Amino acid sequence: MLQKVYDWVDERLDITPLWRDIADHEVPEHVNPAHHFSAFVYCFGGLTFFVVVIQILSGMFLTMYYVPDIIHAYESVYYLQNEVTHGMIVRGMHHWGASLVIVMMFLHTLRVFFTGSYKKPRELNWVVGVLLFFVILGLGFTGYLLPWDMKAYFATVVGLEIAEAAPVVGEFAKILLAGGEVIGAQTLARFFAIHVFFLPGALLGLLGAHFFMIRKQGISGPL
Amino acid sequence: MSEKNHRVSRRQFLTYTLTGVGGFMAAGMLAPMVRMALDPALEASGGAEFVSVGLSEDDLSEEPQRVDFNVEIVDGWYTSEQSRSAWVFLYEGEILALSPTCTHLGCTVNFGTNEEYPDQFFCPCHFGRFERDGTNIPGTPPTRPLDVYDVEVRDGMIYLGQINQRG
Amino acid sequence: MHRGKGMKFVGDSRVPAEKKPNIPKDYSEYPGKTEAFWPNFLLREWMVGAVFLIGFLVLTVAHPAPLEGVADPTETSYIPLPDWYFLFLYQLLKYEFASGPYTVIGAVIIPGIAFGALLLAPWLDVGKERRPYKRPIASGLMMLGVVATIFLTWESVDQHDWEAAAEQGQMADEEEDVEVDESAAGYEIYQSQDSCIGCHGGDMSGGAAGPNLLTTELETDEVIDIIQNGQGDMPADQFEGSDEELETLAAFIANNGQAPDGEGGSGGEGEDGGEDSGDEESDEGSEEGNEE
Repeated sequence: MLQKVYDWVDERLDITPLWRDIADHEVPEHVNPAHHFSAFVYCFGGLTFFVVVIQILSGMFLTMYYVPDIIHAYESVYYLQNEVTHGMIVRGMHHWGASLVIVMMFLHTLRVFFTGSYKKPRELNWVVGVLLFFVILGLGFTGYLLPWDMKAYFATVVGLEIAEAAPVVGEFAKILLAGGEVIGAQTLARFFAIHVFFLPGALLGLLGAHFFMIRKQGISGPL
Repeated sequence: MSEKNHRVSRRQFLTYTLTGVGGFMAAGMLAPMVRMALDPALEASGGAEFVSVGLSEDDLSEEPQRVDFNVEIVDGWYTSEQSRSAWVFLYEGEILALSPTCTHLGCTVNFGTNEEYPDQFFCPCHFGRFERDGTNIPGTPPTRPLDVYDVEVRDGMIYLGQINQRG
Repeated sequence: MHRGKGMKFVGDSRVPAEKKPNIPKDYSEYPGKTEAFWPNFLLREWMVGAVFLIGFLVLTVAHPAPLEGVADPTETSYIPLPDWYFLFLYQLLKYEFASGPYTVIGAVIIPGIAFGALLLAPWLDVGKERRPYKRPIASGLMMLGVVATIFLTWESVDQHDWEAAAEQGQMADEEEDVEVDESAAGYEIYQSQDSCIGCHGGDMSGGAAGPNLLTTELETDEVIDIIQNGQGDMPADQFEGSDEELETLAAFIANNGQAPDGEGGSGGEGEDGGEDSGDEESDEGSEEGNEE
């Protein structure tokens, strides 16, 4: 049955070569923990991606209940956390996933650095990876404000003060991020848009480039 | 390694296991999320609370009187007040509270405003008429009786609950 | 790839009609212990992922995401704390060389150099050598960065007043943790008093007109006095029932919605429960003590 559906699509669109392009590549021995246990350090990249997938999915579901408005944001988070079945788990996944993705990414960065995998010809992929690092930190910063509780609000106040300390552009950057002089309604709307549309868009684009380059260049050789 | 020597090749076996593990992961991730999304649909809708309409039992008579009252509508994290009306009167010794919403197209019915039928509810939009007990009169547009409120008497005061359809 | 004349296409499309086998490459002849990504390696990876996911779900169930009170910009005494992964930057700005007139150093120059160097690492470390101990400068600087980040984060966590933070960030739903003992005699009496429920709610947690009855710090005698004589907006003599019932109810309220003990419920037993405001552990403790 499944085979027939596949054949039907394949006849029309010739997807077998595409599929083989994705699936057909070998994994060398030195990154396979089954051969050398120390190769588990090569897992951190994959785990980072896994947590990112969890973040994207749980985030999509959370927006079903969340409203980015200072009157109702807190109420809606409180509602989804305490009234909605499993809302606590899904919010927990998003909350703890945010921390885990940073831990995993940090470990992945260290692995790539200490195996010297960023050297020629993989310079570009390293740069894309560092940009991904910034994007994820940005997602963490903007997401932290969204529940609009005390912790969120004051952490953002401090964060924007740090941005303001930058010379020349500091004041401008702060107002741009906060959407005005006051950290309030406009800030929340802005942070929501950045957290849900702008940064995830950048994240997906950069991830695509990251994976494309890995496939094109292959995993760096053994030390 | 040839593909045809075994009924299930090693590669096929691995692919099946892979699909199984992938399915497990997808289910583990999605189960709480989907349950959360389905929550409003699965939640049993509790009956509406009873609300006092500010009338005591002694105020009632056979003559329908219109009462306006407010109910609290809880919509997730948002609570709002909605005003409702009812025609309350004694019918064969029982307290009857009818919803004034015409069952034809949702206009508001009045009692006794049509001079030809002083003892009936009358809808001015399409001339729908109802008996005193809310039964629709055949030959007029409405096809079912007026809805009734659940009625409760507490300490001699009238409380109205949720609206029920009849017929 | 097949090209040129004699090629067949599906309909008038550009899709070649020739069928290609959907069989993975055979890596067994490759040198070394290489294995196929699909399905061999991916299966291993996903099994790790499945175990990871189970651990992750256990974490989320065991530790619900925190939620403090709603943001109040007018609150000035709140000690802010960024999320943990920004603590290193937050801590850096506390030091003298990076604060006050030198904030630029802490907020822009030091992080700028660190992250700039990270971004440009491939061009700063151009040697061919990949082993970390064969390129001591690069490895050393990275180690320094990691150690500095961990140290700053640690210092920040260490200096933060966690007790004050826990107090100021009282979780909004803590009140709900107080569970009413619905089997207690006092509970039944309470449920029969419409005038009580009218203001204090059916679950005793208060409402617009009356306060929460589960967190009072009153003793049984005081509760009886308030019920009989009223207090503030609360009218007097609303209780319907015998004096004995009144005392049972009062002891039940004084004990924060837990049965004081089997019989009667005199003022003495209300005390232990009355002094802690809904702390579960000591409630359990006092119950055990009473049973003996």
